Amino acid sequence: MKKKVLSVLLAATMVASVLAGCGSAAQTAAPAAEPAAAEESAPAEDTAAADTAAADTAAADTADAAADTAAADTAAPAASGGGTYALVTKSAGNPFMERMASGFQEAVEASGGTVVIQNPEAATPDAQISVVQSLISQGVSSIAVDGNDANALTAVLTEAKDAGIKILTLDSDVAPDTRTVYCNQAGVSQIGQTLMEAVYDLTGGEGDWAILSATSQATNQNAWIDAMKSLMESDSKYAKLNLVEVAYGDDEPQKSTDQTQALLQNYPDLKVICAPTTVGIAAAAKVLQDQKSSVKLTGLGLPSEMAEYIGDDDAHSCPYMYLWNPIDLGRLAGYTSIALVDGSITGAAGDTFTAGELGSYTIEEIDGSTQIILGPPFKFDPSNIDEWKSVY
Amino acid sequence: MAGRSGREISAVPESGIKEKLVSWEGALVLILVGVNILGVVISPNYNLNNVLREMPRYLAEIFMMFGMGYILVLGDIDISVGALVCLAGTVTVLSSNAGAPFIVAVVICLLVGLLGGMLNGFIATHFTELPTMIVTLGTQIIFRGIAEVLFETWGNGGGTASMTDTKGLMLLAKKVGPFPISFFCVIIVGIIMITVLAKTTFGRKLYAIGSNKTAAYYAGIKVERIRFICYSLLGLLAGLCALFLLTATFGSNTTTGQGFEMEVIAMCVFGGIATTGGKGNLIGGFIAAFIIVCLRIALGQRNINTQVILVIIGLMLIISVLVPSVSSALAAKRKKAGT
Repeated sequence: MKKKVLSVLLAATMVASVLAGCGSAAQTAAPAAEPAAAEESAPAEDTAAADTAAADTAAADTADAAADTAAADTAAPAASGGGTYALVTKSAGNPFMERMASGFQEAVEASGGTVVIQNPEAATPDAQISVVQSLISQGVSSIAVDGNDANALTAVLTEAKDAGIKILTLDSDVAPDTRTVYCNQAGVSQIGQTLMEAVYDLTGGEGDWAILSATSQATNQNAWIDAMKSLMESDSKYAKLNLVEVAYGDDEPQKSTDQTQALLQNYPDLKVICAPTTVGIAAAAKVLQDQKSSVKLTGLGLPSEMAEYIGDDDAHSCPYMYLWNPIDLGRLAGYTSIALVDGSITGAAGDTFTAGELGSYTIEEIDGSTQIILGPPFKFDPSNIDEWKSVY
Repeated sequence: MAGRSGREISAVPESGIKEKLVSWEGALVLILVGVNILGVVISPNYNLNNVLREMPRYLAEIFMMFGMGYILVLGDIDISVGALVCLAGTVTVLSSNAGAPFIVAVVICLLVGLLGGMLNGFIATHFTELPTMIVTLGTQIIFRGIAEVLFETWGNGGGTASMTDTKGLMLLAKKVGPFPISFFCVIIVGIIMITVLAKTTFGRKLYAIGSNKTAAYYAGIKVERIRFICYSLLGLLAGLCALFLLTATFGSNTTTGQGFEMEVIAMCVFGGIATTGGKGNLIGGFIAAFIIVCLRIALGQRNINTQVILVIIGLMLIISVLVPSVSSALAAKRKKAGT
């Protein structure tokens, strides 16, 4: 009998600890005034638990406090003019996503808006669906999504659109009719052309090369890879290049490392690996440099992560690589969100707006969908890497 | 509880209102209420409409929880179902896009699930020396592998496909008031599965096998046949899960259903079903499932880092497993001190 009592007690402690984990002194009081169609009315014992929680949480979570304001803003959207602007990244723990988020936050906060940044628990569209659903509940003004899948988010984004939320994408696009505009880091053909040229240069114009990509369904990765493949077919300049495999490291460091090692083992004549993903290129760079391999690497990488691998001599695995500025991409998405919400642009081709310090941008119609292109990819080589590695 | 011989007959379940209230299930109900209060307190948007709107994706997982409960009561485990959901969903989307009418696509979805479950059951019952964890690890890789090959062969490339004809799915995604259809389906399937396990001889046989397989065999129970049935049933429910997941995603991709098997096992274990077999009931799992879902939704609405949410759920799981063992250790100590 007593053990049952004990188990109930333990269970109660558990609930209390959960409360303590996420409650803060400020917020326990505030929402109580807003019993928005509550499922259960809070009985007395709950107040007791909440009190304990408040006492436990000495340090108030600033992020929570910000989110609180967000909730308050949604209740009266017209009053403040600020609104809540959400960003849904691909996954947590990805440096590129973190830089992008910081740019987004900076742009929105500079304009007086409130920011909600959501990193899904896994790099899957399913996890993003849950996050977007939650944002619809919160009644945010806009959602900027970095899609993990082109199609899987269609239903949930349509639902968000119907709820009056402005939808835009950045970095990786979704089905065009489910979003208003796509903030593209660089044109697909531009990136394909740049990377193909790099492969041509590093191989010396002939030989085996391989691609190390992220997940097999990442929209942007596939578009770039397709662009490279079609260039190889259409341009006789690349006729002697032989693409042996497209490997998928799923944007996980360990899997990318394994895939690189597999490539080295399976193709002894491999000359170049092209990794158009920041996680993949960093993992591959380490493998190649550690093994003192003669295989050269290029692709898209973060300067801060790649600085120690970039160099022209044999001791370094990557002679040069490309990227756009993720902070600027986040900023662009932030300014676009604000412009969409305040109505200064509708998302139609030809609309022009000023994205803060980034300057003026025009919405273009590319391949039948509306896009804003950030700019051409930027080349990082031994001459400029030191200057950029501390930036991002 | 002690009989005339002084021995404790622990297998006879306790009954009576008092026992019911202080049982693990009673505690779970309290936690569920607590989680909902927590939701209302921490998020101004935590209300019936929003919670039900966010729920369908999670509801799909609960179908599999019932089947997994049966498997765990048997003392087995099946970690292939997440991949099976992916395979069933993929085949459904591809066949529908190839022109199959919706009703055929539904049958195909359930059939693929059933066949996958039967494959698990066949291997597990014909090669009993193999640990089921390893068998289903193998089939997990096979199922997801087949799905990826299908995408390559019949898809438009890129490991993802969305259903072009969504009329049928729209019907399934409809709501009655604020309640999605899948909610009622979960309740109906739940009632059937709970009753069969708790009230029928078939259910009792599962407990017998889970407690002592050899004894069950000598008692005349067709152990392997029942195990086969349970695996097939879980497969069928994985098909059902895939179907209702489609009503939320309208498409399938290579990561569909990733991690579902672990989430489903977590729901069962949190609900008091022992992975060693023979203990627990599905009502606990059912309540536990809703606790986890409500907690996720509530914390999600506060924009709490998703990784932190996973940590909280993980902690809850460990505590829930510790409670019975700690309390029984305490009881044993007390008994020792008493005699």
